[in-house]
Amino acid sequence: MTADDAAIRIVGAHKTYPRTLTIPAREAVRDVSLTVKTGTVHGVLGPNGAGKTTTIKMLLGLVRPSGGQFEILGVPAARAASRRCLGFLPEQPYFPPQLTAKQAMRLYGRLLGMSKREIAEQTADLLREVGLHDRAETQLSRFSRGMLQRLGIAQALLGKPQVVVLDEPASGLDPVGQRDVRSIILGLREAGVTVLLSSHQLSEVEAICDRVSIFNRGTVAAEGHIDELLSIAGRSSFVVACLDRLPANVGPLAHDVHDAHGGLGFSALTSNIQLIVDAVYAEGGSVVSVTPARTSLEDYFTGLLEQSPAAEQEVA
Amino acid sequence: MRAVLALANSIVSDALRRRIVYVVAAFAVVMAASIPALPSYGVGVVQPVFREAALALMWIASLIVVLALAANRIPSEIEKRTAYSVLTKPVQRWHYVLGTWLGITLVMAGVIAAFTVIDQAVALLVYKQAMWQLWEGSFGIWMEMSVLAALAVAVSTRGGAVVVAVSSLAFLFIGHSRENFVRGVGDSVLVKLYPSLDAFNIVNPVAHGSGISVPYAATMTLVFLAYVAVFVLLGGLAFSTRDL
Repeated sequence: MTADDAAIRIVGAHKTYPRTLTIPAREAVRDVSLTVKTGTVHGVLGPNGAGKTTTIKMLLGLVRPSGGQFEILGVPAARAASRRCLGFLPEQPYFPPQLTAKQAMRLYGRLLGMSKREIAEQTADLLREVGLHDRAETQLSRFSRGMLQRLGIAQALLGKPQVVVLDEPASGLDPVGQRDVRSIILGLREAGVTVLLSSHQLSEVEAICDRVSIFNRGTVAAEGHIDELLSIAGRSSFVVACLDRLPANVGPLAHDVHDAHGGLGFSALTSNIQLIVDAVYAEGGSVVSVTPARTSLEDYFTGLLEQSPAAEQEVA
Repeated sequence: MRAVLALANSIVSDALRRRIVYVVAAFAVVMAASIPALPSYGVGVVQPVFREAALALMWIASLIVVLALAANRIPSEIEKRTAYSVLTKPVQRWHYVLGTWLGITLVMAGVIAAFTVIDQAVALLVYKQAMWQLWEGSFGIWMEMSVLAALAVAVSTRGGAVVVAVSSLAFLFIGHSRENFVRGVGDSVLVKLYPSLDAFNIVNPVAHGSGISVPYAATMTLVFLAYVAVFVLLGGLAFSTRDL
């Protein structure tokens, strides 16, 4: 990936919250680097306190980094101009309760420097897209949690941003709402918009993200294309024929050995494929099939965290 | 500037739904109407005393409104995260501080103008006089309260409501106690740098004298602008280094 097609670039991000009278200094993020390619959906995962929200806040200028470089569409994130083409949905968004949905959109549109006509047109479209078109004139103090979430998504998409950062977009939404959000995100990707998605809903991330970064204890513990990550982590299922028992050097590598289609079936680490295939043929057998058994993102995620005994430690 | 005006507009709309503004307005009406019912002040001083009492009430009511609007504004917006949706737009932190101050100042202008109209109406009914000089007093009070709002907003970028209220009241006290604090120190730097609010002492000339002169009003305006610029700048700086 070149720097040119990176919509978001974070290099060596670091954040240490200084000591206060009652709280000792704590390192929330250390040496995090992240590149999000233009037009992709990039998921950010991690347990509570892993440093993902702090990283996002540093990118958006809400938290001052202790070190590192942050760029949005090539513009340093410290500059307000970097947020001209950016939309952000905070976790559990809240808006001035005295405003109506339409007034809130007008306020955010004005902050983006949009004309009245642009605001009116986009407000109508976006409120329809998030299912709030019939609540445009309702005061936000009467909005439910899910309705505020929908409005949060609408305001994040105001001004047709090229980069959208969504923090728990499906939080507080019913299943239909969650499906709508997924469809909105996929629509954004189709339109070439870059999406950085922070979520605890692993199935959602697995279904819509091109790449993911898994945060743990203030660093990126794993990053890559979902397919790569999951196949790296997974095992492959083997079915071999013409053998009564496994070759001696394959035995220790094989798990769940069972009879299958007149031969033997077992699973083993994908990284041992070549060794196993060679050994089977050397013993006069043949390999009927090798199927990469893709693990779920949830399994991969929990496995990764379990490798780190202090994963539950609060960092941020 | 558009962002600043949009934020100010949001503050005004928020203030209009706050009960405190209407409670203070009702209090002002009742108090203004009851001033003439006070015991006689002596021949020839009835109307000046009315003006003095009206301005004093206006000052107190304005102070309450300023503290109610400014003390917890930014802290609560950070706590409720409404600030996130604003500050992730192309808005500078100092825009946020300036817009918040401007909104509060506009609300104050409306509240003080309403008080003045009420006082004028009472004066017209009771004394058959419009007492236009009350507007000069209102102008001075608005400026002083706007300075106080700037301080309160600046402090609120870092401190909570109690800290803001205490700082604002302390500033008012110190600002009006110049004579007590720097008496006998001559024309030293301390005297020149003293954060005085004496320029806004307009009750006496408005109530008992012939009002304030144009040069005096110009000086008052300069002092007002200087204080506001300093506080907004400090508030902007303090807020820009705050992690949200």
